Amino acid sequence: MAELGMEDASAIAAWVTPGRAQTATGEEGFRQVYEATSRPLWGYLQHASGRPDVADDLLQETFCNFLSRKTPPMDAAQTRSYLFRIATNLLHNRVRSRDDAASEEPADCGIETDEDARLDVREAMRQLKPRERELLWLAYVEGMSHAEIAAATGLQAMSVRILLYRARQKAGAFLRPPRVES
Amino acid sequence: MKQIGCEHEMGAVRALQTGQWTAELRQHVAGCPDCSQALQLAGALQAVARRADRVCQPPDPHWIFERSRRRTREIGLRRVSRLLTAIRIVAACYVVVAGGWLLRGFAAVQYHKVAAAMPGAPSRFALIGATVAAVCVLGGLLPILRQHAGRGSGR
Repeated sequence: MAELGMEDASAIAAWVTPGRAQTATGEEGFRQVYEATSRPLWGYLQHASGRPDVADDLLQETFCNFLSRKTPPMDAAQTRSYLFRIATNLLHNRVRSRDDAASEEPADCGIETDEDARLDVREAMRQLKPRERELLWLAYVEGMSHAEIAAATGLQAMSVRILLYRARQKAGAFLRPPRVES
Repeated sequence: MKQIGCEHEMGAVRALQTGQWTAELRQHVAGCPDCSQALQLAGALQAVARRADRVCQPPDPHWIFERSRRRTREIGLRRVSRLLTAIRIVAACYVVVAGGWLLRGFAAVQYHKVAAAMPGAPSRFALIGATVAAVCVLGGLLPILRQHAGRGSGR
């Protein structure tokens, strides 16, 4: 899930070049970038905001912003990181501009008690702040390194390390002890 | 400096995703509480991500592409209209200054002597001409000022 496939990576690299024209070819290139990154981005936004409707809105806004900005040449990993950065900024703007009480609590959709991992994810995530949920998601689902998370969130790499550690400790308090198999 | 967490944590998470475990890493994770906790959490979050992926229905990229193009056009139009507004303001200032300068010039003219030199031309004629010019200038300025006022209240 975290790693981009070779085709996805080359599609992004081919598309994210300076002076690209928004022609039919540009649209085709964008379609490939979109298909490679829209689902992970939606999952991230849904998890961090706690609301699927907010994730829908912000996903569109993220790609619109991405298309309308003049970006320097980027490789596939940088493009992915850049998209997460835009999404994170939009998420923070939304939380700041609205008294969005629901954003503090993850929604039911897609977040349920995970018996296999013996972890009440929903309960754990409810206790975390949006920033902590973002960090956990980027590290453990997207598989980003601390430097990549720093680039995607605008934090310092050292802060990422500390905040991620604290978030893991906090979520870890809700880990259930392994079930003894008889 | 105190070590925060375990340095193998991210490697273990990556190994969980890719399935590429080394014997050393597996052995380390078995005895490391930080890595074990991270793996447990990563496994649970990845299960959540898989569920989210199933319910996710991203909109058609063509629609987003078109929306972005519309927005780019709107931004371009807004920039051009800002430039036009600036030009109009400069033009209005020019009209006011030029009008003032002309009126000052007219005031210096001794109308009585001019009127006396032009037999049959009443001095009232000059006054009417100046009034018409002033009305024209004000008539031109009013729509600009109203437009500005409307835009200001609309924000």
